[in-house]
Amino acid sequence: MVPAGACLVLSAVLFGIGLIGFLSRRNLILMLVSVEIMLNAVNVSLAGFSRQLQDQRGQILALFVIAVAAAEAAVGLGLVLALNRNRPGVSVEDLTQLKW
Amino acid sequence: MRPDFAAFAASSGLARTLEIVFYYLAAASVASAILAVTRRNPVHSVLWVLALFFHVAGIFLLVSAAFLAAVQIIVYAGAILVFYLFVLMLLDLPREQAGARFGTHWPLGAAAGLMFAALMWYASQSDLGPPAAPPPEGGPALGSLAAVGTALFTEFALPFEIASLILLAAIVGTIVIARRRRES
Repeated sequence: MVPAGACLVLSAVLFGIGLIGFLSRRNLILMLVSVEIMLNAVNVSLAGFSRQLQDQRGQILALFVIAVAAAEAAVGLGLVLALNRNRPGVSVEDLTQLKW
Repeated sequence: MRPDFAAFAASSGLARTLEIVFYYLAAASVASAILAVTRRNPVHSVLWVLALFFHVAGIFLLVSAAFLAAVQIIVYAGAILVFYLFVLMLLDLPREQAGARFGTHWPLGAAAGLMFAALMWYASQSDLGPPAAPPPEGGPALGSLAAVGTALFTEFALPFEIASLILLAAIVGTIVIARRRRES
């Protein structure tokens, strides 16, 4: 029997790792991958609560999270491609056009 | 009708084994997440995320979310990660690997992430009470395809349609953004 509290702790740790990756990596694509890690951490906690409450709705919500993650990946990588066409490299530190 | 693997194992005296399996999966997913965030080669990072997604799918199986586990492998590991790898291959990888992995502000990012994880850990220590009673015998098991499908097409029909609209908007938006502008 998997305790629900352990699922929540695992979810918190995974989310923290994803957050560290998002804030400190320089590569734009790996920042998006870190967002995927964070979304997965949320899904773990949703599934844990669904198990704890014996309620289907947590898993349905996790399915919608996966759908939104797919949309986010598509748009984010489209942006990376468009960016990479105009300039070499995908380092976030080079993207300073909006700064004045 | 007993597709609920976790409930079956709990009733047949495998509870202790399942707990050990859960702790293995949790440790392995944390380890692969750390490796994914810290590797220098972006392709290695994405492959470690693939390992993370497989282990998380195993955790979904253990918490009676069988359909979610299948979707995790098919959509996340199968579609999204292949897409990431595909875009990664279009970039100048040797040049990416030559530069620094982390920005100069990485201690701040690490502190923020550690602080957030510690807070969430602290907040999740509250007592959740005993798990709710499983649904009565005879109905579809929690997390099975029948149960999830029924909920998706009845109670959640409108959000389901909205999700399809979001995906359509994402497809059209991606094509518009990534299209090569015609020289005029």
